[in-house]
This record gives sequence, C-alpha cells and structure tokens, in this order.
Amino acid sequence: MPELLSDGRVASEDPGGRVTSEDPGGRGAPKARTETTTILGLDTVPSGPTRPTNTTDSLDADLRGLDALQTEVRTARPWWRRLVDGALPPIVLLALLIAAWQAYTVIAQPRPDLSPGPLDVAAALGQAWESGRLQLAVTTSLERGVLGFLIAVAIGTPLGLLLAESRLLRRAFQPLLSGLQVLPSVAWVPAAIIWFGLTDATVYFVVLMGAVPSIANGLVAGIDQVPPQLRRVGTVLGASRWQLATAVVVPAALPGYLAGLRQGWAFSWRSLMAAEIIAFGGTIGFGLGSMLQQSRDLADLAGALGTILVILAIGVVIELLVFAPIERGLLRRRGLTGAGA
Amino acid sequence: MSTITAARVAPKARTEADPVGAPAPAIRLTGLGKRYAHDGPVVLDGIDLEVAPGEFTCLLGASGCGKSTLLSIVAGLEKPTAGAVEVADGGAAVMFQDASLLPWLTARRNVELALRLGGSGLSAPSRRARALELLDVVNLADAAEKRPHELSGGMRQRVALARALAQERPVLLMDEPFAALDAITRDLLHEELQRVWRETGRTIVFVTHNVREAVRLGQRVLLMSSRPGRIVREWQIADEGPRRIESPQVGTLSIEITEHLRREIRRNA
Repeated sequence: MPELLSDGRVASEDPGGRVTSEDPGGRGAPKARTETTTILGLDTVPSGPTRPTNTTDSLDADLRGLDALQTEVRTARPWWRRLVDGALPPIVLLALLIAAWQAYTVIAQPRPDLSPGPLDVAAALGQAWESGRLQLAVTTSLERGVLGFLIAVAIGTPLGLLLAESRLLRRAFQPLLSGLQVLPSVAWVPAAIIWFGLTDATVYFVVLMGAVPSIANGLVAGIDQVPPQLRRVGTVLGASRWQLATAVVVPAALPGYLAGLRQGWAFSWRSLMAAEIIAFGGTIGFGLGSMLQQSRDLADLAGALGTILVILAIGVVIELLVFAPIERGLLRRRGLTGAGA
Repeated sequence: MSTITAARVAPKARTEADPVGAPAPAIRLTGLGKRYAHDGPVVLDGIDLEVAPGEFTCLLGASGCGKSTLLSIVAGLEKPTAGAVEVADGGAAVMFQDASLLPWLTARRNVELALRLGGSGLSAPSRRARALELLDVVNLADAAEKRPHELSGGMRQRVALARALAQERPVLLMDEPFAALDAITRDLLHEELQRVWRETGRTIVFVTHNVREAVRLGQRVLLMSSRPGRIVREWQIADEGPRRIESPQVGTLSIEITEHLRREIRRNA
C-alpha cells in the first residue's frame, strides 16, 4: 500500500485535486461543444458500511481464490485405459466380421474359386510371403507412396501459401485446383503412359496430380479460417509481414493444413494403386497394385482379396499411427477436443 | 512482488516540454474524422483530444458511437480520413474485449511472443524470465504453463494485460476489456488494473459502455455522442486513492453521467 501512495505522480500533477477547464496543459480546452465538469475526489470519506481497504495482499488472495474456483481440475485417464477404449471396438468388429465370413463358407459351402474363405485368403498371403512377392510389393508401394506424398507436400505447401496470400493468383487458380481435386487421378494414367512410358515417372505423376490439390486446398482453407482478430493482435504486437505469417498465421492454420495433408495422403495412396494396376510391366517395379493385377490374370481370387486387405491395412495403420496422434495432440493443445477424443 | 518501473515509460514525452511548460501529451488528436466509405456515414467527426502522460482516461458512449474506431485509429490499426493523430514515442499497446491470446501457446509463451515481436532485444532466456516476472505482476505466476483454454475469462484477460505490459509502450489502449466478465471478476480486475496503473505509470485510454466502470476507474471520463461520434462532455475526477464501485459518490456521479448519455441517445430517436 505505501508504495502505491508514494508514487505521488498524480498528486504532484494537480495538487489541488482538481483540474479546471482553463488548464494550461490544454487538455479538455474549452471547445464549443465539449463541456467540462470537475469533480472533487470520490470515495474519500466512506459513508455507510465499508468493506476492508483493498490492500495488495487481500487483492492477491481474492484473485487466487477466484482463479481456483474458475479453473477445473481435470484428471487424465491412464494411457492403457485410453488405448483399450480406443482400440477395442474396432478389433471386436473386425473379429466378428471374419467369424461371420468363416461361418458362411463353412455352412453354405460355396465354390472356393468364386468365394474363398478367410483361411484361403490367409493361405494365399502366406504363399506370397514365402515367395517374397508380398514383401517386395509392400516395400515398393510404401516407398513410392511415402516419397510421392512428400514431393506433393513440398509442392502443395508453397502453392497453398501463395494462393492464400495473393488474391489474384487465387482467383485464377482456385477453380482449376478444385476441379483437379474432383477429377479422379486415375484418369491421368493413360496420358502419363503416353508421356512417360512404363516408368516410375508415370506413377509419381499420377500420385502428384492426386495429392497436390488436396494439400494446397487444405492449407488455403486453414488460412482462411484464421480469425481476423489474431492478425490484428499480431499487428498490434509489432509483427512484420514475415513474422505475422510465421508466428501467427501459419500456426493458426495448422489444423486445416493437417486435414489437407491427411486427405493428400489418402489421395496419394489411392492414385498409386490405380497407377500400379493399369501401368504394368516395363521398368515399373512390382508394387501392391501390380500384385493385384497379377492375381486377376491368374484368376486367383483369394490372392486378390488378400492383396486388397493388405492395401486397406496399410492405409489404416498409417492413419492410426501417423495422422491421428498428430491431430489429437494439435487439437488438444488448443482446447478443441470434444467428448469423443 | 515485482514492480515495473515507470522510468522506462516515454522518457522523451516527458522531457520535451511544450511552450506552456506542461509535459507533452501522450496522445494528441486534432480534428480527427473517420468515414468508412467515401460517401458513407460520418463515424467520427472533429475529435480534438489531448491525454497527458500517466493519465487514466475513460471513453464512454453507447454501442456504435465510434469509440472502438477511435481506439483502433490511435492504435494504428485504422487510418483516419481527416485530422491527425500523435502518439508518444514508443506507440501504444492494445487490449481487446476478448483476450485474443494465441490458443496454441502457453500463457508464458504468449507474453514471450510480445517481447520477441516488440523488438525488446532480449535473449530467449531473459525473455522467459521477463515473461514470468510480468505474469507475477498480474498474479498468474502459477498459471504460466497453462494454455488459454485452461484459463478462466478473467485469467485470460490478465495474461493479455501482462502481454500488453511486455510491450513497454507508454500508452495502453483498452477496448472494453472486462465487458465479457462476470461482475465479481470484473470488480477484482478493476482493482488489479488500478494497481498496475499506479505501479507502471502507463497512460491508459479505457473504452467502455459501462458508466459505473468509467467512474470507478477514470481520472477523466469523456462522453461520446453517436452519429457522428464527437466528444460532447467530460468530467475530471480528482484522484484521491482507490474508489469502490458501490460507493454512493460513484453512484451519484454515475447517475449524472447516465442522464447525459441517455440524452445523447435520445437525440438519435
């Protein structure tokens, strides 16, 4: 309390405790339409019931009490509990589906070449594993999928930033980009084969045409959703244009960008499979799509179904192990997680 | 309790004396006018205002009278269409109605960002130390590592206050900073703000539509008319220590000011 009063700045400025409209400082200088009233100190002699004088200490205690009342203490569930809660329902569903499938083959006894059971499919996959074709196909496809996706990120991200920042470019490119996003990228395969022949370039071209528009559009959408107030804050805090982009706009746009990346990966993977099925032979290596095509040529339905399951499983695993944790962390840090997370 | 020294505040503004001998104003507006479209309505008209260094000024008016626009112009977020704005060297920090903290940063990192962007020239460890110091000023040292969504509305506004103080600007502009808070929190934050003001010697312009809040806080209350926004009346209140919002004197003056505010509103009927 004493250090507050010893400030003295206010008291020494106008010792009389009043400021008249003839104040030499000129503030409130009498303008035709502004009328000045001077009030002597308020609250000097407390009349009626008073509350204790507000010392710094009691204010601190009041604030601490209020803070404690207004913040909820959240207890986190243990990690194994979260894991069980998250993983159990889909695993149970998967087991039920396979059991129903097996029951159907046992009870109805369909022709095994038209409707193989889960055991036939597992046997076909086992065979592919023994011959080494499965491992080769998975590594080839994964390598291409991941590399293609990373190239798509490297192209899509600057493109998205450019479109988000330049109104003119955006007006010009946005319809084209949205169109490309709707166009199934498999449509590019015939053209790509004519341009690049049966080489890896064909595969990467198709992957990029699938993934780049999604990534760029995701980033543009993310930046559009940045609240204008955050930009104002950045400006008020003295950020330069570059600082505003790196410290405020891009971090604020991350959830939208991540959604674009996720979709970009899905499109990469799909386009890759389409390209591998159609473009077969030449210097193109042996991927999962090629394996699927080979099963078709051999009328090996169990092998085809097994390959489809492998393609599906890789998609699910990457989604669960890469994108889902990143997104969960991102949203949790911002307090955006709902009850479902 | 750490204190922020007033010595750093606008040393220039105080040394340059104007011809009459009074200190140069922290803010000087001359003939300020604003309209958004070329042929649009006049939002602000002929605003002349001087705010002395260290003064606590409340700007009072009905919703839509242009008081927030006036604040944005002083903050440099918008440009006036007529007249001139002068702000003391160092410029102004701003607090908004919503705390506008960056949701992905902790309280401490939000304050550190202001130190970094404001060109404080501090190294990363000293920015961290300074941010903790400032959070302690607003009684939030314990919440430094919490993110905005984990804080209550009042705590968020205090982080925003610490962030504004981090900018080391002589002028602090506040745009209805407590309007969205409950009455109990608001009352405590009034005390907190007064304490910080006395300790730091900042020049504060506080925009509000709450008459009692203006009378509770200000050394000077300015009443704005609507359409066009003009400063029509002002009250100087001698500062003789802390006031209470429920004291009869504050009540009496509030009634008087409310009368004038109503009259201004009625003119638009």
